[in-house]
Amino acid sequence: MDSIWGNIFKPFKKEDDDEIRTILKKIPVFKDLDNRELARVERILHRRTYHPSEIIFSQGDPGFGMYIIESGIVSIVLMPSEHRLAELSEGEFFGELTLLDESPRTASAISRTACKMLCFFQPDLFDLINRDPRLGVKIMFGLARTIGARLKYTNECINALKDLPAVSGAS
Amino acid sequence: MGNSSVRWINILFVLAALSGVGVFLVAIGSLVKLVIISALLAYILDPLASFLESRWMGRTAATSVIFIGITGIGALFLFLAVPLLAREIGSLQDMVSSGRANAMITRFESFLQGKLSFLGIQDLDLVAKVHTRMSDTMNWLVSHVFDVVSLLTDLIIVPFIVFFLLKDGRAFKKHLINSLPNRHFEFALNLLYKMEVQLGNYLRGQFLDAIVVGILSTIALRILGIEYYFVFGALAGLANLVPYLGPVAGASLTIIVSLFKTGDIAMAPYIALAFILVKLIDDALIQPLIVAKSVDMHPLVVLLAVIIGGKFFGILGMLLSVPAAGFLKVAIQEGMANYRKYAGRISTQNTL
Repeated sequence: MDSIWGNIFKPFKKEDDDEIRTILKKIPVFKDLDNRELARVERILHRRTYHPSEIIFSQGDPGFGMYIIESGIVSIVLMPSEHRLAELSEGEFFGELTLLDESPRTASAISRTACKMLCFFQPDLFDLINRDPRLGVKIMFGLARTIGARLKYTNECINALKDLPAVSGAS
Repeated sequence: MGNSSVRWINILFVLAALSGVGVFLVAIGSLVKLVIISALLAYILDPLASFLESRWMGRTAATSVIFIGITGIGALFLFLAVPLLAREIGSLQDMVSSGRANAMITRFESFLQGKLSFLGIQDLDLVAKVHTRMSDTMNWLVSHVFDVVSLLTDLIIVPFIVFFLLKDGRAFKKHLINSLPNRHFEFALNLLYKMEVQLGNYLRGQFLDAIVVGILSTIALRILGIEYYFVFGALAGLANLVPYLGPVAGASLTIIVSLFKTGDIAMAPYIALAFILVKLIDDALIQPLIVAKSVDMHPLVVLLAVIIGGKFFGILGMLLSVPAAGFLKVAIQEGMANYRKYAGRISTQNTL
């Protein structure tokens, strides 16, 4: 009986908690959080496992949150050309833009190997902001910083493209 | 086997499973009712627990503080309001058992016979009819008193369920979501969240609205000098939970009892005016401020929901029918909207 109730009501085991905390500490969104705050975030994460070649989400799906790779490799693929945009592995994350709005997914995510994922969703973030606004602000600031960094990187890529001879010549 | 046959078998399987769940829920109906009441109460109290949590309190401590507070308010209510209610109800019973009500009915009957004799109204025997109707009502009440008795026993179970739903609701929800397949869990999580927000807002709004309408009606009836102002004020607040029918029923009951009590019809327009004013204040000021508009339903749907709820679960069913219909409406609305997004995406992929 004990094990049944233990399985039903205990979200993660202790050793998993430490493992998850180590992963979360590396994610820029949670960079400013102390251990107590990380423990609060851990409690709202959803843990999912995926088989190799399983679709995590498809391009165009309504998106509601970000995925953090606990283990395994994930490909981010642009449809319908199936152009591989990125290959992500343990400790990396994707889909964080949908924490801010419910925009459709801009690419598909497919597991290349068996994957364990930690999922952080917008409804849980909103609930957390209600219950602990200080922690909510820290997460939102981390999120803004991450998106800012991505925007900066995109700008750099665009500038680099502009400098290419073919592009400069065409313009 | 073709794709469409597999699809039909799947649909039939889901329908059979849903029917099985339905039959099971009907079989344990009283328990389901208790769980629904507890869940609704937990929804109403949830923001309070979250607020306390935001003030550096653990969830268990926040839930305990809420329960201590509710026990305190309940004790205060028992101490202050129940004696007043009991006195007013006792006085009402005395009035009905004395001959005054009969005299009033007889006077009304002779008034009808005198003024409307051209319509052939002669032997109305209103006293006997009213007595039969009252005895029917009393029988109905007695049969429902047993419900009240079992409800008193359930009063121990309901707080127990509410406590754990409030304390561990988030964990229950998380385990429910985690049990869903990868393909659907993100969509289900969002759907559940949206339904929760809408239903929670609606329930809390209705609850606050009922309290404010109850207080306003009590004040209005007190100003008019109506004798059982507290009973009728409280009834008006409670009746306000049943849309359309509630306010009309509350006002009519007050007018009829006041008519029996004083035998003077002059007060009726003032009582009606007081209830209309309270309703206007409710519609113009209270409702827009505290009741979420998002679960707005067509009046016909609301009326049908109230009637169906009353038919199957009595007064409780009438009170819970609107939030239940609202819950269904949001579930269908959100489900359809998200299904369309998914279906749109799938059909686009198929055509590419």
